[in-house]
Amino acid sequence: MEDKLQKIQSIISDFEKVLIEEPFAVDHEANAVGKVNVIYNDKNDSLSFTVKIRPEYPFKILNTEAITFINSELLKYGHVMGDGSICIHTSHSFDLKKKLEIDFASLKRWIQRYFVNKEKDEHYEHIIMQPVKYNEQHYSFIFSEIEHEFRRDDFGFFDYAEIHSGVFYDTKINNQIVINFKDKHNKLIETSKWSSAYTNLSPANIRFGLYIFIEQPPVIQHRFIISNWRDLQDKVPGEFFTFLYGLQRNNQKLKEVPIPLMVGYKISEMEIHWQTTMLQFGNFPIGHEKINQKWVGFFTDTKIDWIMTKNSSYDYFFGRGKFNNEISNAKVLIIGTGAIGSMVATTLVRGGCKSIDILDFDIKEPENVCRSEYAFSNGITNKVDELKEILSSISPFVEIRIMDSKFFHLHTKIFNNAQDLKSLKKGLNEYDLIFDCSTDNDLMYILSQLSLNKMITLSITNNARALVCGAQSNPYFWVMNQYENVLQNEIEDVYNPTGCWSPTFKASYNDISVLIQYALKHINVKLGQRKELRNFVIETDETNGFHSKLVEF
Amino acid sequence: MNKTTHLDSVIKTHQISKEESLLSKHKEKNTEVKEALQKNYGERIYSPFNSGSYAKNTAMNLKFDFDMVAPFKRNAFGSNGTLKEMYEDVFDFLYEKYKDVAEVRKQKVSIGIEFHADEDGDIVKIDVVPGRELSQDKYNETEDLNLYVYNKYGVIEAGSERIKTNVKAQINNIKDRAEKEKDSIRKIIRLLKVWKNTKLSSPAKSFFLELITIKAFDNKDISGNLWDKLETVLEYIRDEVTKDAFTLKDPGNSNNDLIDTLTSFDRQNLSDDMKLILERIEDNDKNIKTYFPENQKFVEEEEDDNKYDNKGSGFYSTPPKTERFG
Repeated sequence: MEDKLQKIQSIISDFEKVLIEEPFAVDHEANAVGKVNVIYNDKNDSLSFTVKIRPEYPFKILNTEAITFINSELLKYGHVMGDGSICIHTSHSFDLKKKLEIDFASLKRWIQRYFVNKEKDEHYEHIIMQPVKYNEQHYSFIFSEIEHEFRRDDFGFFDYAEIHSGVFYDTKINNQIVINFKDKHNKLIETSKWSSAYTNLSPANIRFGLYIFIEQPPVIQHRFIISNWRDLQDKVPGEFFTFLYGLQRNNQKLKEVPIPLMVGYKISEMEIHWQTTMLQFGNFPIGHEKINQKWVGFFTDTKIDWIMTKNSSYDYFFGRGKFNNEISNAKVLIIGTGAIGSMVATTLVRGGCKSIDILDFDIKEPENVCRSEYAFSNGITNKVDELKEILSSISPFVEIRIMDSKFFHLHTKIFNNAQDLKSLKKGLNEYDLIFDCSTDNDLMYILSQLSLNKMITLSITNNARALVCGAQSNPYFWVMNQYENVLQNEIEDVYNPTGCWSPTFKASYNDISVLIQYALKHINVKLGQRKELRNFVIETDETNGFHSKLVEF
Repeated sequence: MNKTTHLDSVIKTHQISKEESLLSKHKEKNTEVKEALQKNYGERIYSPFNSGSYAKNTAMNLKFDFDMVAPFKRNAFGSNGTLKEMYEDVFDFLYEKYKDVAEVRKQKVSIGIEFHADEDGDIVKIDVVPGRELSQDKYNETEDLNLYVYNKYGVIEAGSERIKTNVKAQINNIKDRAEKEKDSIRKIIRLLKVWKNTKLSSPAKSFFLELITIKAFDNKDISGNLWDKLETVLEYIRDEVTKDAFTLKDPGNSNNDLIDTLTSFDRQNLSDDMKLILERIEDNDKNIKTYFPENQKFVEEEEDDNKYDNKGSGFYSTPPKTERFG
């Protein structure tokens, strides 16, 4: 340690325009701590920083740099955290000297940009706050945008429900979603843009909270959240105190019951954000006094404990990546939800799809789990019912409908005179994309007669050696020819788990999903480029490692 | 597999003579419409004649209709009569006459009459193309006609009265070829039409495929068996259709360039189609079966390797080879 301390001291003392103000010493947490002056102009003006180097250095601590430069007088500048530490992102190096060079260079760059040039970044810098526990537990409020435009001084109620309680590091966390906003008379303004799985809940699961929209962010020094109720005093209308006072008085029975308050503000012309704190009936942080013969409400001099609030609107939820709009905005039907259909479904949902209808007659059993998206814990159940739950649990933005499984039989195979086929075609053409993953040759034959707009038929050969994707209007003969005459489909080698009447193919989740992902990637790219989606085959070869090739027809 | 044998079967199973009764129903209705036009317009009309694939001997039985040109005299609709008036008058006449037994509708340059299905479920379709001679009594000499464009056709705007064509010259474009070559050209055209029919929609219309096939025969040495010839034509389309300088003149009017009926996107797509057909058939010749499918209705039972093979035919616990998984 002594040796490392010496090295740090000696490396830093060699840096140009860096003077050691207080030599480095080891503190009680084994950090090397010292003070430096960094000269930033020709007049030898300098800024002073406490430098704290953690024992992990030059390696990171989890995701965080193990070095911090702190000067709490710099809070008003960009990219400074609440404790005055400068937010720098630097490159990795395993070498102590190189890493120090890199990190000091980053510090100098920060000084130049944000201290000297006083640059303001174009993107919004979120308020700096550290969410705290409430009653020894964490709470989060997750909201999604609504169309309604809040104005300054608007206040009222919102409904929320708990979605899941988990563990946040070592503390219990209770996650809540905001279902809607109501005005001060409890009249619905708008429901959040979640799917019905999240908004049509049983009233027993719904609780209410309060909100106030103050328009300007509740901050001091531009970015640091207000921490005392007194500092909010001027930002809310007098009427709001009357509202809180009345609410508390009329709900004596709720004494000591917590109620969340969301404080809303604009972060851009188009976007608003909320911060949440917990109030407690009977202990609202308000008082009133008589000024000029009138009762006037005020906030008491108490600390505000802010809890977690997260904007999970569609654009944030899928901000890291999604399918092209041609797919994500499409009204989708998935026929058949076995291995392929369930993988297609989850991939579409994670890709941002908003409307998916699913159709299958089959039952999920434990042996289906190993190569599909189903879970053992759900036991034996209808595939579509479980899939609907899984898909809704992945994304709050997808509306899943379970369609009538008679489709496989009555609607397509018995009543198939010209008139019925016409109305079947009309119904199916209301979808922008139909994925036929049923592997039902009869059904494919019938659907092929209908010249549907966009029907994509997906299936694989035994052992998942090849994936066959019919994407043109009449895929039946092409698909059948691939299986019958072109591809190898080694049907001798099937798996007979429960007797000869239900042989099934051999392939693992990995074997199948690699092909499904490849196929969906190709479809996404083609549709995104507005190119004709042709029939295609993905062939694989395992003679020397794994190789795959996509051929279009 | 033998590709030429397959292609021969494609042509054979698509011959319209296979659909004898449907063909004779078309002939009957064709005569009826022709006589009705002649009776209604009397001296003002020359003899209507067949112009489409049936006249060119390139028809196929999967999707066929009869095209009929109705050539009118210059003054048939008054000395100042417009082509629009001609088109509307013929439409009104056909609509009134057939509205109870058929769907009569305005199409690009023709009027479509689609008779309701008869007791056998057969549907007869006749397209009537009204045309007017360029100047009084010159039709018998020049056979040139002006057409009215009702719907936007490629780059030609709706309402245009400028389409001049010579349908007889279009028909003779094939007929005038040497007997042996004519037969090959027709076969290739039929095959390309069979391919076109496998697509939901093809911007390249039949007339386009006819002309480009003939142009390939004009520019390439097209010889060998039927597959060799088809392959050469496919290569020609693949290589030429995207070139900027490529033209496809209408034999009925050299001012009409049929390449204008395709956008540059369509041209690239058509070239890609040809490229992929050639590549996939090269990979595995059995792919020819879906690019150029036989009309299953008329395939004669042949011995098939798969059909009677124990392996993979669904006996006992082994599923058939066409079992798809997923």
